Amino acid sequence: MDDISLSVQPGEVMGVLGANGAGKTTTVEMIAGLRTPETGTVRVLGLDPRHERGAVRQVLGVQLQQSYLHGALTVAELMDLYRSFYPDPVPAAELIDRVGLASQRRTRFERLSGGQQQRVSIALALAGRPRVVILDELTTGLDPRARRRLWSLVEQMRDDGVTVLLVSHAMDEVEHLCDRLVVLDAGRVIARGTPGEITSATRTPSLEEAFLALTGRDIDEDDDRPAERSATEAEAH
Amino acid sequence: MTTDIVPTPTARRPGPKSWLALVGAEAKMVTRDTSGLIIPLGLPLLILVMSAAPASQEVIVNGRTALDLFVLPLVLTVIIATIGIINMPSFLAYYRRSGILRRLAVTPASPAMVLVAQVVVSLLQAVLGMILALAVAFWGFGANPPAHLWAGVGIFLLALAAMYALGMMVAAVAPTPNSAVAIGLVLFFAFGALGGLFGGVQMLPEALAPLADWLPFGAAVQALGSAWAGVALELTHLISLVTTTVVGTGVAIWLFRWE
Repeated sequence: MDDISLSVQPGEVMGVLGANGAGKTTTVEMIAGLRTPETGTVRVLGLDPRHERGAVRQVLGVQLQQSYLHGALTVAELMDLYRSFYPDPVPAAELIDRVGLASQRRTRFERLSGGQQQRVSIALALAGRPRVVILDELTTGLDPRARRRLWSLVEQMRDDGVTVLLVSHAMDEVEHLCDRLVVLDAGRVIARGTPGEITSATRTPSLEEAFLALTGRDIDEDDDRPAERSATEAEAH
Repeated sequence: MTTDIVPTPTARRPGPKSWLALVGAEAKMVTRDTSGLIIPLGLPLLILVMSAAPASQEVIVNGRTALDLFVLPLVLTVIIATIGIINMPSFLAYYRRSGILRRLAVTPASPAMVLVAQVVVSLLQAVLGMILALAVAFWGFGANPPAHLWAGVGIFLLALAAMYALGMMVAAVAPTPNSAVAIGLVLFFAFGALGGLFGGVQMLPEALAPLADWLPFGAAVQALGSAWAGVALELTHLISLVTTTVVGTGVAIWLFRWE
C-alpha cells in the first residue's frame, strides 16, 4: 500500500474498488487490526485497531474474504457462539432470517454451499450490532437472488446508521450500494468520489468504462504490479 | 485512512458466557471428529488389555502388582501424552490454517480464550480416558489404587500440565495441521521410547537410561509408579515435569500467532 488516505462518515456506504491484487484486502486487514501499517495511522471511531483492539472489536463487524468457521458446528451453533462475544447481540433467529438461511439452521457449516457459507460469515459480522461493518467481497460466488438479498441488507444497515466499508470488484454492486468510493490500483488510490463523479471525471458512461479508462485494463485482470513508493509518506503505507 | 464517529466505544472483555460457549463449541468439534478420539482412548486401552492379565499376577511391593506399578502409570501417561501432544496441537493448527483463528481475531474473543477452551476440552477427554482405563483395570483385572493416592493425583495433574505445555508449544510452531501431527508424533514416540513405552526403562541402552528420568514421559511414568508403590518421589522427576510445564507454556505464549 502506498499513500492511501480515506475517511468514511457515519451511516455512509464507502466502496473500495479494485482488481485482484490492488490492495483492497490489505486495506481491510489494516482497518480490522490484522496488519500494522509501516507508517501512518488507522482509526476506527477514533480508536487505533491495533492498540485499542478490545474497544474496536465491540463495534466493528468484519466479513473477511477468506476465512472459515468451525466446520462441524451448525449454522445456529455458530450464531450462538459468535453472539456470546458481545454484550447485546442480535437474536440468532433474526440473524439467520436476515441472510435467508432459516432452512439451513441445523446444517453443519462444512456441508453448506460456498454461497451459503458466505452468508453465514456476513450474519456473524452483524452479530454484535456493529457501528462499523467491513464487507470484503460481499457477494462473490452468490447467485443473483442471494446478491439482491444482501444488497437489501446493506441498504438496511445504512438506514440504521451503520457505517459500511464495502470492498468489491463487482461494478454493479459498488454502483448500486455505495455513496462514495475509492478506486485502488497497484496499492494506490487513483480516483475517489461518488460513482457519478468518477464517471463524469473520466467522461465514461459507466463505472466499468471509468475503471478501464483509469487503469487501462479490465477489473477482472489481476493487478500484480508492486506499489510505487512516493517520497511523501501519507496516512497509511 | 481515518474513520471518526462519536461517542468513543470502550473495551469490554467477553464474560463467562462467552468462555462457556467457546468450550461448548470446542467440545462439539472434538466429539464430532470421532477418528480423533480413537487413538487417545483406544490405544491406551489396547496397551492395558494386552498387558494387564500377566502383570496383575505378580506382586512387587506393598501388595501392588506389576499392573499397578508399571502398566497403569504407562497407560495414564499415554492417554495424556496423545491428547496433549498429538490431538490438541492438530486442532489448533487446523484452526489457524483454516482461518478460524483469524476470524476469531476480529471479534472480542482473545487468543487466550481459544487456547483455554481447547485445554479444557482436552482435559475432559483425558479425564474420560483415565476413567475408562481405571474402570477396566479395577473391575477387569483387579488393579489396586495408589498407595499414596493424593501424590498420584498430584503427579497426574503435573504430568498433564507438562504434556499440554508441550502440545501448546507444538501448536504454536506448527504451520499446518499435518505438520502438527507429524511433530506431535515424533515427540510422542521419541519421549515415549526414552520413557519406557516399548518394554520399560530397564530395556534402554545404558547411555540413554538417564534420559528417562529427565524427559517428561519417563518422569511421569516413574513418578506415577512411585505414588502407586507408596515410595518417596524422586526430585528429578518433579523437576523434569515442572520445567517442561514452565518452558513449554512460556514458549507457546511467546510464539503463538493467529495466522
